[in-house]
Amino acid sequence: MSDLFARRLLVVTGKGGVGKSTVAAALATVAGSRGRRVLICELSARERMPALFGTRPSGAEVGLITPRISSVHVRPNEAMREYALMVLKFRAIYSAVFENRMVRYFLRAVPSLSEIVMLGKVCWHALQDDRFDLVVLDAPATGHALSLLSTPSTILELVNEGPLARDMRAMQALLEDARRSAVSLVALPEEMPVNEAVDLAAQLRKVVRMARGPDFLNAFFPSRFSEAAISSLKKDQDPNLEIAARAARAYEDRAALSAFYLEKMRTELGRPPICVPHLFSESFGALQVAQLAEVLDREIPA
Amino acid sequence: MSQLGKLLGERRVLVCVGPGGVGKTTCSAAMGLRAAMDGKKVLVLTIDPARRLANSLGISAIGNTETRITDASFRSARLSPKGQLWAMTLDMKLVWDDLVRRHAPSEKRRDQILGNRLYRQLSTKLAGSLEYMAMEKLFELAQSRDYDLLVLDTPPTVHALDFLEAPNRLLDVLDNDAARWLLTPALAAGEIGLKFGSLGASYVARTLAKFTGAQLLQELAQFLVAFRGMYEGFKERATLVKALLESEQTGFVLVTSPQTLAVDEAIFFARALREEQIPMQAAIMNRVYPQQTGAPSVATLRAAGVEETLAQTLAQTAQDYALLARADHAAQLRLASVLGPEIPLHSIPRFVRDVHDLRGLWEVNEHLFGDSA
Repeated sequence: MSDLFARRLLVVTGKGGVGKSTVAAALATVAGSRGRRVLICELSARERMPALFGTRPSGAEVGLITPRISSVHVRPNEAMREYALMVLKFRAIYSAVFENRMVRYFLRAVPSLSEIVMLGKVCWHALQDDRFDLVVLDAPATGHALSLLSTPSTILELVNEGPLARDMRAMQALLEDARRSAVSLVALPEEMPVNEAVDLAAQLRKVVRMARGPDFLNAFFPSRFSEAAISSLKKDQDPNLEIAARAARAYEDRAALSAFYLEKMRTELGRPPICVPHLFSESFGALQVAQLAEVLDREIPA
Repeated sequence: MSQLGKLLGERRVLVCVGPGGVGKTTCSAAMGLRAAMDGKKVLVLTIDPARRLANSLGISAIGNTETRITDASFRSARLSPKGQLWAMTLDMKLVWDDLVRRHAPSEKRRDQILGNRLYRQLSTKLAGSLEYMAMEKLFELAQSRDYDLLVLDTPPTVHALDFLEAPNRLLDVLDNDAARWLLTPALAAGEIGLKFGSLGASYVARTLAKFTGAQLLQELAQFLVAFRGMYEGFKERATLVKALLESEQTGFVLVTSPQTLAVDEAIFFARALREEQIPMQAAIMNRVYPQQTGAPSVATLRAAGVEETLAQTLAQTAQDYALLARADHAAQLRLASVLGPEIPLHSIPRFVRDVHDLRGLWEVNEHLFGDSA
């Protein structure tokens, strides 16, 4: 695989709750430490990136997180406005048309429109915004991500003239160019998240035709004990040994599960994912993101 | 009997709500299984592009039709149900087509809609479409079939209560003065009267057409025209669906996991249901680490004769597990304080293996009902 961070757009997706935002934050950190100027785009209902890095919310404006990493919370209304202004050039026309009560009502009702403008904004940052070298997209979960990424081709089936069609072609060209974009899948070492990642990989190949970056197996439990070590404990002699042995056994059960799903991802996706270790901590913030970034830095070739 | 058990006995419809990725499908299927074991004829209904329910039930595929879980599946799980367990995955496209067939005023109109390119592209993507169709199907099944219990596994929504507002939102899109006003200039003359004066509207439409091309606006106009006359049917139906959800027959169960984000969302959900005056009957926290009895230190383990390196790893691991359990316990307390004493919070421990077969579901039930396996 060629240099991952030399690309313009990196999409991170997977089943809900698998840690997409965390992986996106850690990826951005690694890219930043390798000299790239990175913008993280968040599309979720609630903004999370600044909290993960321990900085103040940036909202719909691009906000600086570290000297090399910025983030922006992409929201449909603001994205619509920016897009319209870009095409219309004149604010007065925008106000007359897009701030018309009837039009707002109408536009809000059709979700594909908000997907168009949100993906449009992400692609604009990747293609035209020279403040940044790389855009990391913290994408929605599986189904929504698929419909988001296939928006350009869906729209192009309906429209083939005008600025919308032109922009959709540019977006599609960016997504389908393996030198400029890649998509990474995130899963947990559990049945459903791994199945969804495998399904999504097939769908992405068929529908979106994006190049695939490395996949991630998050919250991985690497083995800590040999079977011999656990059974060597003379549990009947000491309740403390009993407690320790129970924890060790529970841990190794999880480790075995992790190994099983690592193997499953490797066979079904045709290559091994990068294992992101489970972090034992009460909270999840800047420190934990930095820890994960260290792991990714070792795993992702420069 | 637990409150959840009572719920299964008394209600005809159970709606499982909660954030995505917490095991809602598993809990829905487990409750359905329990009722089937007790002698009911149960249907579990899910919306499932990734075929989660099929996974949960250990069967390879479920179509858009009601499928009975076979005796053989039960036998291999060493279970013998007194009732029947059925499952169904919704295919949004087919539910939409059914609805159009039912409400279209004429065959011509029906074919116009089904053949419209925009309909084919956008029907399943319209705001609230997924949620509305789930409710619509639930209602149809409640009316036309002889199930004793229907369990609905709701789609993971970005906004917690989309599925309650869905009927209204969908009608907003389809029966929308704004859309008609906007698209009037694009419509064939005479189809719809000019309500708001054509000058402003045509200006706006021309500007929009700069983005989309005139072709798309025209097709959108045709699409909306084709839907005229069907709103009444939709509206009537939506009112009935809402009445079913608010009736004594229906119960709501909140499902979440101990993860901070999931609990935040569950709390938001609980408050929103309360505001809508839809009573929730029970809550389930899935994948909880059980409480520990303390973690031995390295020194204690050394004193018990464990060699240094192993003692360190053991102490660390015991500490790690105690930490997971503490965090999950705090999450339970946080949710319980919002739910109040009226709504019981059940916990399902994190199993070593994922639950994806009947036997696993049955073990889940042990924790939900206390008296099963």
